[in-house]
Amino acid sequence: MSEHFTRRDLLHKAGRGAVLATLGGGAGFLVRKAHGQVVWQVDAARCLNSRLGEVGVAACNLCTTECVVALSAVRAVNEHSRCGRCNICPAYFNITSAVDDRGLPSEKLCPRDAITRRPIGKADPEDPANNFYEYLIDEEKCDGCGKCVMQCKEPLGLGSIVLRIRYNRCVDCNRCAISTACPKDALIQVPVEQGLRNDGVH
Amino acid sequence: MTGSIEMAHATSTRRAVAAILALFILATVAVPTIAAQSIPYQRPVDTAPQEKTIGGGYKTPAAQKPLPRNSWLQLLDVAVLAAALAISSWLVLKRRSRKALVALAAGSLAYFGFYREGCVCPIGSIQNVAVALTNPQYSIPMVVTATFFLPLVVAVFFGRAFCGGVCALGALQELVLLKPVRVPRRLDRALGLLKYVYLGLAIFFALKPARDFLICRFDPFVGFFRRTGAPHMLMIGGAFLLAGLFVGRPYCRYLCPYGALLNWCTRVARRGVTITPDKELDCGLCTDACPYGAIEKMRAVRRNCLYCARCYAACPRDGKLARAKAQLVTLSAEPARS
Repeated sequence: MSEHFTRRDLLHKAGRGAVLATLGGGAGFLVRKAHGQVVWQVDAARCLNSRLGEVGVAACNLCTTECVVALSAVRAVNEHSRCGRCNICPAYFNITSAVDDRGLPSEKLCPRDAITRRPIGKADPEDPANNFYEYLIDEEKCDGCGKCVMQCKEPLGLGSIVLRIRYNRCVDCNRCAISTACPKDALIQVPVEQGLRNDGVH
Repeated sequence: MTGSIEMAHATSTRRAVAAILALFILATVAVPTIAAQSIPYQRPVDTAPQEKTIGGGYKTPAAQKPLPRNSWLQLLDVAVLAAALAISSWLVLKRRSRKALVALAAGSLAYFGFYREGCVCPIGSIQNVAVALTNPQYSIPMVVTATFFLPLVVAVFFGRAFCGGVCALGALQELVLLKPVRVPRRLDRALGLLKYVYLGLAIFFALKPARDFLICRFDPFVGFFRRTGAPHMLMIGGAFLLAGLFVGRPYCRYLCPYGALLNWCTRVARRGVTITPDKELDCGLCTDACPYGAIEKMRAVRRNCLYCARCYAACPRDGKLARAKAQLVTLSAEPARS
């Protein structure tokens, strides 16, 4: 080897060393400023459907239409600790529909019938205002259209329903298609711990 | 007689039509009046009742929260990438087996393509790395850093092993290449410059304040991996695959921005494809077999070689059959073969 060592070999070696040094330097720089995993999150304070003051406008369904996975990775979540458990829930019922014989709106709001309700304890038919209901959103039916989110906030509701990302479905696109379409820049990348905390509820 | 029956028939039809019309008008007028009788809605409560106020031992259900992929699964991706790179290098440089390499490529296509749905890939990671290097606020996970640098470091030592057996986009095109035609060398060179333009554009748009990741947006094959995608991108992907039946790996050779980086790293590579282990036959079968125009003067041009190992498969001096033939030759005619 040593007797055949030419200038060409030397240049080659030097070039390799330079490239390796560049790569190593770049990698080292990035590793030093790296944090753990990041995930996408819907910022409820920015999202058109859940942010306060957006009343009387049509619900934004870009999360449904823009997401690259078949059933959107965004869905509505009922934060039960904030839920009013109302007898007539504006997110469960279409409150502009006609009243039926039980005194309740005759239509449901959800186009995919993803919300179910069951009385908590025994429902008293004489005192409907004090009957509490638990509202559950079926994760497999919800496509994140945001209609219920738009209804459940001041002044109609308490704002317990927000849009969240189901991380088991989200493919974590480099360039989240929803984030580029969202008019309010509500999709943000956050460290995974923050994404898993129950924050973002106003 | 017959005429009057017909007349009666006609009147009854007319009556039915009138009745349906009347019903329709009634319905269109009546529905809004019913709808107007909705409740004057008022919020029933001002605060959320909690477990104590509800009573009866009620427990607040936890909000459903599907977790993201475990971090160890992300590490597994990097480990699989590293292992695939090592196996690909070994298969091409030592084992010299096209069959095994195609099997590895199919495996990579299944894992990185269809299971991981094309994310995260070294090609797209260029953009994250570019943003992270220039923007102090932006930081990228270690997994993405590793995904970007591993194939480049391997290329500095062993050449473009990533392209041969690891890249899902490359594997898809490798598998559809049925009838390779030779692209005229000049055209091939000119088209090859596109990838540098694309690399520049991708970095430029990634660094712009309105961050746009062109490489991901115009990834022609990710739609197939996810079995869904924008119709125009699926069409472009289909066009690439159709062209890829005849033109070897068009995306890799002419557009892939990561290919541009690998090209640079491979210029100083320690090792590369050597077509025959001892001496060349000068028969030119390898040159004909190379769909990528990467063999010049019977030698593999490292920076363009995509590690498909077709040249080995075409070489009469390589592989088991070749060794058997060589022995036959030794036995019958050539006693002095060392």
